[in-house]
Amino acid sequence: MTRTITLSTQSIKQVINEVLQVLSSGGLVIFPSDTVYGLLVDATNEEAVKKLIEFKNRPPGKAISVFVADLNSCKKYVSINQKQSAVLSKLLPGPFTMVLPSIHTVQKLLESEKGTLGVRVPDFQPVLQLASSFGKPITATSANLGGSSPHYSIDSFIHQISQAKKDLIDLIVDAGKLPRNKPSTVLDLTESTVKTLRSGDISFEKSNVYQSHSAQETQNIGRELMQGLTKKYGQKPLVIVLKGDLGAGKTEMTRGIADYFEIEKIISPTFVVYYEYAICDSKSKFVHVDLYNIQEEVEFVHLGLSDYLKPGNVMVVEWGEKLGKLYAEFQKKAEVVFVEIMYERETRRKIIVNY
Amino acid sequence: MFERIPELAQKFRLLRSRVYTSTNTLMKKAKTILAIDTSCDETSVAVVRGRCVLSHVEYSQIAMHVKWGGVVPSIARRAHEERIDWVVQKALTKARLDLQSIDCIAVTYGPGLAIALEVGIKKAKEISQSIKKPIIAVNHMEGHLYSPFVQNSKGNPKTDFKFPSIGLLVSGGHTELVLFKDHLVYEILGETRDDAAGEALDKAARMLGFGYPGGPVLERLASQVNNQDMYRFPRPMIGSNDFEFSFSGLKTALLYKLKEMTEEEKNKELQNLASSFQEAVFQTLMKKTKKAMMQTGVNHVLVGGGVAVNKRLKTTMRAMVTAQGGSIFFPSFKYLNFDNAAMIGIVATIRAEHGLYVKDDDTIDREPRLSLLQSSI
Repeated sequence: MTRTITLSTQSIKQVINEVLQVLSSGGLVIFPSDTVYGLLVDATNEEAVKKLIEFKNRPPGKAISVFVADLNSCKKYVSINQKQSAVLSKLLPGPFTMVLPSIHTVQKLLESEKGTLGVRVPDFQPVLQLASSFGKPITATSANLGGSSPHYSIDSFIHQISQAKKDLIDLIVDAGKLPRNKPSTVLDLTESTVKTLRSGDISFEKSNVYQSHSAQETQNIGRELMQGLTKKYGQKPLVIVLKGDLGAGKTEMTRGIADYFEIEKIISPTFVVYYEYAICDSKSKFVHVDLYNIQEEVEFVHLGLSDYLKPGNVMVVEWGEKLGKLYAEFQKKAEVVFVEIMYERETRRKIIVNY
Repeated sequence: MFERIPELAQKFRLLRSRVYTSTNTLMKKAKTILAIDTSCDETSVAVVRGRCVLSHVEYSQIAMHVKWGGVVPSIARRAHEERIDWVVQKALTKARLDLQSIDCIAVTYGPGLAIALEVGIKKAKEISQSIKKPIIAVNHMEGHLYSPFVQNSKGNPKTDFKFPSIGLLVSGGHTELVLFKDHLVYEILGETRDDAAGEALDKAARMLGFGYPGGPVLERLASQVNNQDMYRFPRPMIGSNDFEFSFSGLKTALLYKLKEMTEEEKNKELQNLASSFQEAVFQTLMKKTKKAMMQTGVNHVLVGGGVAVNKRLKTTMRAMVTAQGGSIFFPSFKYLNFDNAAMIGIVATIRAEHGLYVKDDDTIDREPRLSLLQSSI
């Protein structure tokens, strides 16, 4: 029989004590938060976590985030570098789930396939008090079954679930109707797992160094580069890999290259990954790729980039160092030129072209 | 009585034609449309009738949970081919319909990622052949333009179309100002020459050390300092005489600012940097929209796209438009701001009313850089 107790300002202390008892003995608790009702179990107790996964019909291997009392305690469960730490201190407590590399001190079942863990420091005193007194992380998944929407009141949730599910719940803490805040925003703070290439990783016969002092000059260098390359390689499929930080001038260089083919209106393809343009009414294509948003190698499988390596086609790849394994394939099927743009100061960029 | 005053009658008829108390008339003859949108990384399918969405399913409703406890164990975005059948089936089931009850199929054919668009188009052709029903090809940007008029299954909100309107479409992939003259009649006033507004916000967030998505983070940091604009970053093209946008230079300005700061200073100033950057983007959007209102004399404004969920943008835009004596419309449900098939279905409803079906399925091809002008009738 599931017990229900009511959370009010007077009852906080007593409620927390009861919840602590249930969590310590491996129980499942429904508890309010700053967003929606959550399902709480001891995140270090394997049996309890399994019970939670069974309750949610969640296939194993899918991550579940954890409530943590404060930023300092986060460090006991995930690795945080200095920069990430500054970010966290600005946003937490708040309605964010921060995804970071796990240091494997919680149940492995809670981590993602990539070994990351979501941590959550909610802007909600009862949960913070609970997490702090418990001294261990507590699961922070929303009270709903896989695929359906989260709940803002106990009644709406209880009505949705079967008796068998109800029997799995040990304690319900009812705080009435919660304000309809959205579930937390998941922020992925882990670095991309895509292996990046350095120009030293690949051997080139020749390299030219240029200096640019303006966006216009970078465009001109791009146009002249293209002119030289067409002379040299003719109709062979050509790939120009562009490496350089945000704001270095990669898109400007691409504009210059496109301008050689009289293609105008080049806009950033960051969001869609690539745009294709027809080259002067021919069947050939100019493909402008931007791998900035690519996080995992597996994404390449669905992009079909290699299909463009045909005679007459020209491909410019911004953040091309992220091509990783694909780079070797590109080298086999096309002529590849590796261009690196380096920021030196506001009005100067060093551009290295490797053939 | 109008017969005696022909000009007035003419005027009246014109006015009438502009007021679409369309819900009822639409409902009577409204077709049941299966709509597919795979323009980028969202596999989305909806079933609509008139302006009502009977069901809407997108893979990321699950994909959000893919990392966080989902149903299908693949993490790759844009894996449309693997997902499309599943999402179509789910949309039909949710609408309690089978394929046979579908009158036509709507599909996005651009702008977007070529290989992603192809999956949706291929699926639409397949379904069209199997049930012998026609296809309606829709421009993804039309969808965003119509998104404030999408209704839930109960027919809410009742908001009616008002023509002409000015549409501001702001997302991670697009930034454009459109004159929405009448159903399916568009004129592009201006668009971005480089980065989209949402992209600029995301990249700024990344430069400040935040993960993805950057928009909500900047919004929150900015609100912590009351959206102050301490750094006064340049607003590129704000003084230009046209309605074009450019956000690439703004990104570079932030880069230069960060280069001259120490790590410690940056961390201390995160909120102000975020806020000033966001203000630079939003003030530009506001100023250009205001100019468009003044120059065209049109005072209905529609705002669509992912960036339009930002509360700061909503509040300031609303204040500006109201001060101009105009009215402003946003999508009524959050999912409509992002890429979704529901809005594509609503455009298809209007296209069906105009008899704009694709005559030969073989002629549909993806158009990665499709412009709204190409879809204007």
